[in-house]
Amino acid sequence: MIEVAGLLHCAGARPILQELDFSIRKNDFVLIFGQNGAGKSTLLRILAGMIPAGKGEVLINGKNVAHYSKRELATLLSYLPQSDEFGLPILVKDILLAGRYPYRSIFKKLSNRDREIFAEGVERFGLGDLLMRNMQTLSGGERKKVLLATAFIQDVPIILLDEPVNFLDPGSTVQLIKMLENLHDCGKTILLVSHEIERFFSSANKMLALKNGRMSYFGNKMFSRELFREVFQVDFQRTFFDGKEIIFVNE
Amino acid sequence: MNKKIGLLLLIAVLLLVCTPFLGITPIDLRGIFHSSPNSFIFWHLRVPRTILGFVAGAILALSGLVCQNLFKNNLATPDLLGISSGAAAGAVIALKFKLHLSFLGIGGVYVFSYLGAISAVLFIFLVARLIRNSSLYTFLMSGVAINFFYSSIIVFFQYIFDYSDTFSLLRWLMGGISVAGYGEIVFLLILSIVFLFFVLLFKKEFLLVSAGDDFARSRGLNVANFRIYSFLGLSFFVGAVVSTCGPIGFIALVVPHVSRSWGKSHYGATVAFTFLLGGGLLVLADLLARTLVPPVDIPVGIVTALLGAPFFLLLLIAELKKTD
Repeated sequence: MIEVAGLLHCAGARPILQELDFSIRKNDFVLIFGQNGAGKSTLLRILAGMIPAGKGEVLINGKNVAHYSKRELATLLSYLPQSDEFGLPILVKDILLAGRYPYRSIFKKLSNRDREIFAEGVERFGLGDLLMRNMQTLSGGERKKVLLATAFIQDVPIILLDEPVNFLDPGSTVQLIKMLENLHDCGKTILLVSHEIERFFSSANKMLALKNGRMSYFGNKMFSRELFREVFQVDFQRTFFDGKEIIFVNE
Repeated sequence: MNKKIGLLLLIAVLLLVCTPFLGITPIDLRGIFHSSPNSFIFWHLRVPRTILGFVAGAILALSGLVCQNLFKNNLATPDLLGISSGAAAGAVIALKFKLHLSFLGIGGVYVFSYLGAISAVLFIFLVARLIRNSSLYTFLMSGVAINFFYSSIIVFFQYIFDYSDTFSLLRWLMGGISVAGYGEIVFLLILSIVFLFFVLLFKKEFLLVSAGDDFARSRGLNVANFRIYSFLGLSFFVGAVVSTCGPIGFIALVVPHVSRSWGKSHYGATVAFTFLLGGGLLVLADLLARTLVPPVDIPVGIVTALLGAPFFLLLLIAELKKTD
């Protein structure tokens, strides 16, 4: 589904990402982690077609990401940036409908399919009461929920998320992770950037570790004290609770 | 919401109908149908002036709304970005060199005004392209720079004009709604409706960019292209108003701000309020301008700035208090 070969990305003369090779299959849930400044967000933005790759190839469904039109790409993947600040008031309903933008031409009214999936998204994410609210007045958790629902309404196979639970309270975090797992169960491919691996460790099935722009690991999710120590310079421990694998910092 | 729009529409229509009767010489209903000095004042001065005021105000207010959406910031206006002063400088050059060539029936001042506005837009986009940074900050900073540049061009030409020309130029630069004929008014009237149509037609796109560049891009909008085309279009409308009325400040800043809070974030309602309020406000300001200190006709730009500045401060304070 996503293939990256020999990726090299520089800011000026300074390499941000180098020697990246990996391929992601349909319905993978990939946790991309690393320290601050390791290049996680840049990698995600390249995959999303937000910034040009530089050297190397980034293929989505066998076609170079740069060769897609913006609209075509928006029917394949949805990118949720880290920042969810809104400078101007905008209704939740309008944000959600923006997910249908790639399918609508200028004069076209909403199609039945548009309405159907909009209603399904509102229902699934429990947004019925928020539709006429201004995004700016929502809590951080509600905002993230709306943005995730937008990705759902966009009806794309791949969802890319940058630090989706930053600044969220524990309740909202758990809720959001459940929704993500739910989307994963429906067959979506999910790539998630976070430095909080503890939170997403049990949800993911693949992981990609970045250190100073290089890949320390890519493959099936596994608990490796050595890898985590190399990436984060702290000691991680693992335990099982209710049959769930839980990792935590032990320092 | 529809009721509110209806109410404002009613007020706007009333204003349009009543304003021509008011002034230093009051005119009654019977006077306008006989040929008399009063009927001349009514049909040839006040009615066109009122319509021009409404249409110019509506265009300016819409241009403010569009700028704010494109920059996701409710302080962005064509004035701040240097578009208005570009248009003014273009017009001044045309006036100075008496460049009264006309193109497809459109006057020379207008063409130069438009070129001035476009040059400002191209400049700020060129700077953003050169330093590969298209944040609001970059655009505003280069807007400030081009503003200074064109302001000094205007001052330069003022200085080398002879006295009588300088006075009429100064008068024009203060913003004024004076009427040359119905031709200009019809032209601007059509422009205002076209502008309104575009702002409503591109609702999806304007909503997307106002939600943020990354958000818009990831929903499939080519943000860079949309922004530059919008600005080129915007210069067209702003240039038209500036070339006829001079640079009139504050309407573009204040009106969208108020409309947004009235419209409760509904796009269509906000656009409707902006159009009606922008037009209505400039008609009122112009009425004040020509009646406040009789028999002097104060430049309307002075009235909008005098009223707009404190009003805007009050708005800001009220808003900051709310978010505390």
